[in-house]
Amino acid sequence: MMPLGPAGGLPAALALRIGISAVTLLAVRRTNAARQLAFLGSTIASIVTGMTAAAVLQAGSPVHGVLLVHEASQFALTYTVDGLAAWFLAVLSLLAVPIAIFSVGYVGQPHFNRRSVFLGVAFNALLGAVEIVFVAGDVITFLFGWELMTLAMAALVATEHEEPASRRAAYLYLVMSHVGTGCLIAGFMTLSVASASLSFSTLLSGVAVGPVRDGLFALFVLGFGVKAGVIPLHVWLPDAHPAAPTSISALMSGVVIKTGIYGIVRVCAFGLGVPRLSWGVIVLALGGLSALLGVLYALMQHDLKRLLAYSSIENIGIILLGLGAGMMALAYGRSDVASIGIAASLYHVLNHAVFKGLLFLGAGDVVTATGTRQIERFGGLLRRMPWTGLFFLIAAMAISGLPPLNGFASEWLTFQALLYGFRSSTQPLVHFLFPVGGALLALTTALAAACFVKAFGISFLALPRSREAAEAHEAPLVMLAPQAFLAALCVGLGLFPGLVLRVLEGVMTSLPGLQPRADMVSGGLGMISGFRAFDHVAPVVLGTALLGGAAVAGVLAAIGARGFQRAAERAERAEQNISADQGEGVRGFQPGGEALARLKASRSRRPRRVPTWGCGGELSARTEYTATAFSKPLMMIFRAVYRPTRQVEALAEVSPYFPQEVRYHSEIEPTFERYVYGPLVRRVLRMADGMRVLQAGSLHAYLAYVMILVVTMVLLVWWRG
Amino acid sequence: MTPAISDALPTIGLAMLQVAGMLAVAPLLKAGIRRMKARLQNRQGPPLLQGYYDLAKLLGKEPVRSETASWVYAAGPRVYFAAAVAATMLVPVLIAAAPLEAAGGILLLVGTLALGRFALATAALDTGSPFGGMGASRDMTIAALAEPALMLGLFTSALAAGSLNLGGLVRNVLQHGATVHPADLLAFAGLFIIVIAETGRIPVDNPATHLELTMIHEAMVLEYAGPDLALVEWASALKELLYLTLLVDFFLPMGIATSASPGAIFVALLAWAGKVFLLAIAVTIAESTNAKLRLFRVPELVSISLGFAFLALAIRFL
Repeated sequence: MMPLGPAGGLPAALALRIGISAVTLLAVRRTNAARQLAFLGSTIASIVTGMTAAAVLQAGSPVHGVLLVHEASQFALTYTVDGLAAWFLAVLSLLAVPIAIFSVGYVGQPHFNRRSVFLGVAFNALLGAVEIVFVAGDVITFLFGWELMTLAMAALVATEHEEPASRRAAYLYLVMSHVGTGCLIAGFMTLSVASASLSFSTLLSGVAVGPVRDGLFALFVLGFGVKAGVIPLHVWLPDAHPAAPTSISALMSGVVIKTGIYGIVRVCAFGLGVPRLSWGVIVLALGGLSALLGVLYALMQHDLKRLLAYSSIENIGIILLGLGAGMMALAYGRSDVASIGIAASLYHVLNHAVFKGLLFLGAGDVVTATGTRQIERFGGLLRRMPWTGLFFLIAAMAISGLPPLNGFASEWLTFQALLYGFRSSTQPLVHFLFPVGGALLALTTALAAACFVKAFGISFLALPRSREAAEAHEAPLVMLAPQAFLAALCVGLGLFPGLVLRVLEGVMTSLPGLQPRADMVSGGLGMISGFRAFDHVAPVVLGTALLGGAAVAGVLAAIGARGFQRAAERAERAEQNISADQGEGVRGFQPGGEALARLKASRSRRPRRVPTWGCGGELSARTEYTATAFSKPLMMIFRAVYRPTRQVEALAEVSPYFPQEVRYHSEIEPTFERYVYGPLVRRVLRMADGMRVLQAGSLHAYLAYVMILVVTMVLLVWWRG
Repeated sequence: MTPAISDALPTIGLAMLQVAGMLAVAPLLKAGIRRMKARLQNRQGPPLLQGYYDLAKLLGKEPVRSETASWVYAAGPRVYFAAAVAATMLVPVLIAAAPLEAAGGILLLVGTLALGRFALATAALDTGSPFGGMGASRDMTIAALAEPALMLGLFTSALAAGSLNLGGLVRNVLQHGATVHPADLLAFAGLFIIVIAETGRIPVDNPATHLELTMIHEAMVLEYAGPDLALVEWASALKELLYLTLLVDFFLPMGIATSASPGAIFVALLAWAGKVFLLAIAVTIAESTNAKLRLFRVPELVSISLGFAFLALAIRFL
């Protein structure tokens, strides 16, 4: 690969993907071979992409090139890998490789195996399209990649097209994506007219001036926001992500929605000239809204994959909080402060890809093992699937923003962006948005912790809640190894934020108008925001302290156990003496047989195992706390958001006081679907109805339209000529 | 590498001393509050050393665990304890610098405590007992509601002092001298409410109850016994002492030693003990004069705190 050099790496990777897809299609009858070829081939392509990205990040200079030239018109599809593109490419390849390896095992299960060829080709197409989006050097290449990505993803969402729900999810996704793409096309056309060029390098150098900038900003936020799943443009996401096969969901949540973030950073933050303050405020507000509502909805989901999908919306919100703070700082001319926010959002892009990818892969294991996605039907899986459980726990802790894992590192940086932004702001009143954003972020993080205590605890701990869960089996090594890799990344990226920031520093210096402070990194281990005296963090030190604390706890418990053992031995000796003395008729302390056996057993240094107290009844899965019950207090507290409805139905035969069966049904109101999209869809349909007058079905009318059009055009030409 | 280690030695020594000292005092605080509360109710109350007796008894008991539980159940108290210990190293107690100032500031402290809470709440779900789940659910709910108020309160004071690092914050407050700004009073009131909520005191939670409908923290740790329970109890006591120390650091750090001379440290010790004692009295009075709130009234209490924090922010920076 290396002889190709960074310039050749990217086309090579794309060519490889096309070649693999072609060969996979040829192997349509041999599904096993096709699957291995497609997914293992795609790892090679992803590694090549990753090496290109690494080379660019290391060298600090962008790589340009041409993908395709049309000789006659001299029209070329160009690409540019600059710092920002390289960062997103690196994130992509970091996640695409483990997902592809996981897929070799996952897609191999009987349920998916017959679709191996389709999944393999679509997977490669999707990755190739996302790569093109990240590196596109001009509008046409970008839109080509963008549309290819949309179509590949729609196809993957509809993998199980026999299910009406999957078809509907794919359709909704297509419709919303195309509205978004329409906005993008309008925006890019305006820009290309203003700059008389299709190349991003001129197009995105701040060519628009005046109030038209605000319009362009709105168009791009709308267009990219749909892809990113920003609330209120998110409605497709919770349907689409769970519908796809789980390893594909991991890719969607981890990487594909980040194309929206990439677009917002590339175009809205740095492509339309210096952002206005109001843009930053809008991005910050959208971020806060997405983060809070995303996690609130995630809390109420009992379908594991839907829960993870909503949590992706939350994390997009956190990314936008950092970005919004950065844009606001850019607007009032503090590029050093802005770099904290931008770094925070780019760091969280990476972290979210890692832990959400890992969570989805774990969910894939669990869904494969149990055949259901309902959390209420899991339980006790940690015993049956120890490794999956461990990796899921690590990811759950990381996504809850707990130190010293990676989620904490980027959230810490986001807090810095908000607080330091507040301190350095010169704008009265507006600057209060920063601490409000900080409070929102704190609430979001804590709610996410509650959400993932539920997701992990109810799924993996205590007793199995269904026969499927009781008979679950651990996933094979080919599916566990990628998770081990991602779990290690969760720890590593959290312990060594300085290394990540050092790379990000290069990314940020490549962005126009951004100058990170030279002292943001401290020695590979820590991070500093602003001045050293303001705040800094070194998670490694905390990690050591935690180990020390755990050691103290272990020593204390050991001392206690030792004391107990001595007491037990004393009692045993006393008992022997007593039994020896018993012939002489000495009465004294006399442990019963059971107590003695207990004392003896305790000398094995293992804690005694006893059944959990079942409140007087028998402990079973039915007495366990459920996921619904776990999140009930929050549902009650945030009922203004959820507007829950519930139905309790007691079926009694003899007397209402002795119900035979109680049915409980509770649901939360889909606010956006009902109050925003419902009326919108109705209005669109009504307009379409109105336009049916034109489409009367009569050939004469159509001929008349053509006639009128021709005459109008002739007149127009005559008048202008 | 060697010079780095020898440089780090005093830090490590200081951190261990502070942890040992705080661990030693923590049971006293809990028993002291219990005794003062008993006195207010015209009861004798337990002896001041009861906390130590309890811990010694629990540590010496046979370790017993549920047979449905996995390793997560055993890890919970240990991580909870470790997090409390690590958090102790991040807070300045007697000297105007936290032993582990290099690790980070307020955000890291809050994150570390959240780590402990996460571990304990997860472990509570492991036995299959409905109490564990109930306690975990309620504890995470209240923590989630308290978090923004806590953060905003801390931010207000920290931004006023110009540092999110606890050591830097204390030094800045000392430098500027004591000024009773109305914002400080509001922020203090807000944070005091949060400390009550986070330490599981009335009116949010009742540490003395084992009534199923009202307990929160106690429900979460209901299944623990022996050394595991001792670790939980000890860490909870440590956490409470830590929160009170944090209030002292934020609003009235005067008296804290700025140099390592024995005299200054002795004065700091007296000053710290006195201030923590005053706060303990305040906690006692709050516990004795209030009734426990219904769970669904707690959000109102917490929003009062959030309101205070916002007002403090507005007064300070408008």
